[in-house]
Amino acid sequence: MVVAGRAVGGVLAAIVGRERLREDDAARAGAAVDGVVPRFVVRPGSLEQVSGVVALAHDAGLAVVPRGSGSSLELGRPPVRVDVVLDLGDLDQVLEWSPDDLTVSVQAGVTAGALARRLATRRQLLPVDPPGAATRTLGGLVATGASGPSRARYGTLRDLLLGVRFVQADGAVTWGGAKVVKSVSGYDVPKLMVGALGTLGLLVELTFRLHPMPESEATWLVRCRDAAGAQRFVDALLGSVIQPTRVELLNSAVLDACALPAGAAAVAVAIGTVEAAVRAQGEALVRVARGTGAEAAPETRGFWEAYARAFETAGGARLRVATLVSAVGATLLEVERAVGDLAPGNEPRVGGCAAVGTLHVALAGIGPAPAQALVERLRGFVAPRGGSVVVEAGPRALREAVDPWGPVAPGPFALMRKLKDEFDPGRVLNPGRFVGGL
Amino acid sequence: MALTRSVLDALERIVGPDGVVSTPEGRLVYECDMHTFYKGAPDVVALPGSTEQVEAIVRLCRRERVPIVPRGSGTGLIGGAMAAAGGVMVGMNRMDRILEVDLPNRCATVEPGLINLWLTKAVQDRGYFFAPDPSSQMVSSIGGNVSTNAGGPHCLKYGITVNHVLGLEVVTGAGERVQLGGTVVDRPGYDVLGVTVGAEGTFGLVTAITVRLLHVPEAVKTVLASFTSIERASEAVSGIIAAGIIPAALEMLDELMIQAIEAGIGAGYPKGAAAVLLIELDGPTAEVDSQAERAAAICRERGALDVRVARDDAERALLWKGRKEAAGAVGRLAPTYLLQDAVVPRSKLPAIMREVLAIGERHRVQIANVFHAGDGNLHPLILYDDRRPGELERAKAANEELLRACIAMGGTVTGEHGVGIDKAKNLPLQYGEADLNFMYRLRGVFDPDRLMNPGKLLPSHPACSEGFRPARPHLPEGAWI
Repeated sequence: MVVAGRAVGGVLAAIVGRERLREDDAARAGAAVDGVVPRFVVRPGSLEQVSGVVALAHDAGLAVVPRGSGSSLELGRPPVRVDVVLDLGDLDQVLEWSPDDLTVSVQAGVTAGALARRLATRRQLLPVDPPGAATRTLGGLVATGASGPSRARYGTLRDLLLGVRFVQADGAVTWGGAKVVKSVSGYDVPKLMVGALGTLGLLVELTFRLHPMPESEATWLVRCRDAAGAQRFVDALLGSVIQPTRVELLNSAVLDACALPAGAAAVAVAIGTVEAAVRAQGEALVRVARGTGAEAAPETRGFWEAYARAFETAGGARLRVATLVSAVGATLLEVERAVGDLAPGNEPRVGGCAAVGTLHVALAGIGPAPAQALVERLRGFVAPRGGSVVVEAGPRALREAVDPWGPVAPGPFALMRKLKDEFDPGRVLNPGRFVGGL
Repeated sequence: MALTRSVLDALERIVGPDGVVSTPEGRLVYECDMHTFYKGAPDVVALPGSTEQVEAIVRLCRRERVPIVPRGSGTGLIGGAMAAAGGVMVGMNRMDRILEVDLPNRCATVEPGLINLWLTKAVQDRGYFFAPDPSSQMVSSIGGNVSTNAGGPHCLKYGITVNHVLGLEVVTGAGERVQLGGTVVDRPGYDVLGVTVGAEGTFGLVTAITVRLLHVPEAVKTVLASFTSIERASEAVSGIIAAGIIPAALEMLDELMIQAIEAGIGAGYPKGAAAVLLIELDGPTAEVDSQAERAAAICRERGALDVRVARDDAERALLWKGRKEAAGAVGRLAPTYLLQDAVVPRSKLPAIMREVLAIGERHRVQIANVFHAGDGNLHPLILYDDRRPGELERAKAANEELLRACIAMGGTVTGEHGVGIDKAKNLPLQYGEADLNFMYRLRGVFDPDRLMNPGKLLPSHPACSEGFRPARPHLPEGAWI
């Protein structure tokens, strides 16, 4: 069914109310995604309104792009169609927090920072800490599959998301998962929604598992002679009885960004538990470091904030490089060499979770051609071992020059395409931006 | 349905004559899993030895439109591994090799028929273990654990099976062999891997599994506390969680269960106690020592009769032996029972236990309780004697009422056993039409002909065979052109 623009505007206004719909040039330009200006900017105030807007878009053949804080709009392929930008910022209520059950249900527009402040009053936390998390929405963090240093201990949002209420491409409000910490009733639908950019359903309500805040946490910076030395330390640490909360491998440019003395490579390790155990494990950590030819020293409180800021990329680009845990050191070295060869002068900041093998690479302004060569070279390095390189942020031209997701093996991709065809055949939900143009 | 001679011959060509079980007495062995209520012998059992053979079986069955039912060790509790609609049962027991142990990357790749505990046994001398520990772990297969997304006492701290699966090789219902995930995490695209774990064989047959291995903790301590009431014990559970302690395991046994275990194997539980809490802490020594002390103090504050810390591994093993053999011990109380697996938010434990008691009285059945208190996962055993007329019916009625009570408190119908055929009918208690519709269509993506383990995991729709109708919002009247 085809609906004229003006008529669609009228129906949208009827669904969400005049004050929640913007059609003026300024608002539309402000909501542009990679330069593609939407026809409508809608800021729904309820689950029912989201459902109504999507149902209308479905019937009218419009493309809906969800938006949280707007911090990650550079993730993914440049969009082909953007008709409605759906701003979920007004859905910012914590629906139900049950401290005794260590669970919380929130609307998608709640920021991680706002939730963290509430949870802290009972010494609980939702351990998701990518750069800039405090001002990012939880819906956005889930949809982009964001992760930070705490994943070394707590896993990712994949492990923390218990239940999700989403709106299917035809507007049907759907629930998947459970509100309790343990459930295997039916398929694990929440898994499908993590990192899917809203392409299978628009996330509106989320239920998470929470963790108690450790009684005490301390950080050590382990300085290593080189990347190989860092790998030796990481292997020894992970093969020990020490249970760190964060294990970040980082390079000299990150040390520099954190205003720390220069060095080839380092590993920042946080240990969070009861105070006596923090002390005991810290001592063990110092011994492990020494045994691998590295030096561990306690770090000050502000380290993790400075570390997160080192990966903010205004105007630049950021890559996510997934590799084997046993090859994080070699991968860090290869990133530095590749940038040196292909974009000389660009000092890449490299850091990431050594316990799972995921590195982030922040680059200053880089042209599409060298970026393409760099990404392809790194893919060539990590792909044989099952790794991947994703462009997490960067200008549109860069993401036109190189597929930001990289190739997905034909077998799994065929299933992904079938999933998209089944649940969004009309390509209403964030079309074209996900892997393979889904 | 009876299979034609040509299908049987084709199966024999694929797996060899010794890989086919087709005699009536042979097939009888496969007619049910541990939920013996549901019986349905397959028309034939095939025992493949390789992924290639599995692929060939799926292709053959697709061509002949014959249902496929996967089976591991048959220790499931939900009627998942029985042939409700006949067809070919695929027993994975011959595919039981450890394909690779990769300690630098802390993972292992195994075939689905490998027994859960064997993996830990293969790596424990090097300081590693496989965390998911269903009580059946001495006999259940890792493929079965993956298919049911199995839990276990220690999943309170370590998470359930899906949190430990890095990769799967699957032959889908469409006959396609796909590799999902692998040693390296963070693969771009939908988390097809995550949603395949726990699919109970309805997406296809799992032929290889890469799992995470964890380093063994420095120290383990088991604390046993007995209480005069379930309420008191439940308050202690809440107190421990509120103190910021996540034990590796936090298990509760009620009075009837304590009596049964003591009469059976004598685990050293105090007589006369109405509830026992088994609290296990593991991790760095200093953490375990401090948290064990605090957990014990919390139990005392909540009026524990007795608080003991296992002095050595032998005593610890004995305390656990009772818990792990609980289901067997109730054989002393009644010839048979229904085992429930519902979950409530853990703060609702005292309320649901009062309800359990009331339900037992209302339906005149005894209910023994053993459960994962830390995550609110109940395992009431509803006892009955099927030789006495009416008892089974009363047990079933109590069972259904219990499920409804759990859902009413915000819970779920199954915490770790799975849905299978047993709970398929209960899913509508928890999910609406649109939710079930989504799951029904999800299944179709992997198994377009709906031949994979039919009748399991999802209810069949009462009104139409096309699946559930999604509820679409009502759009306001607009100027449609």
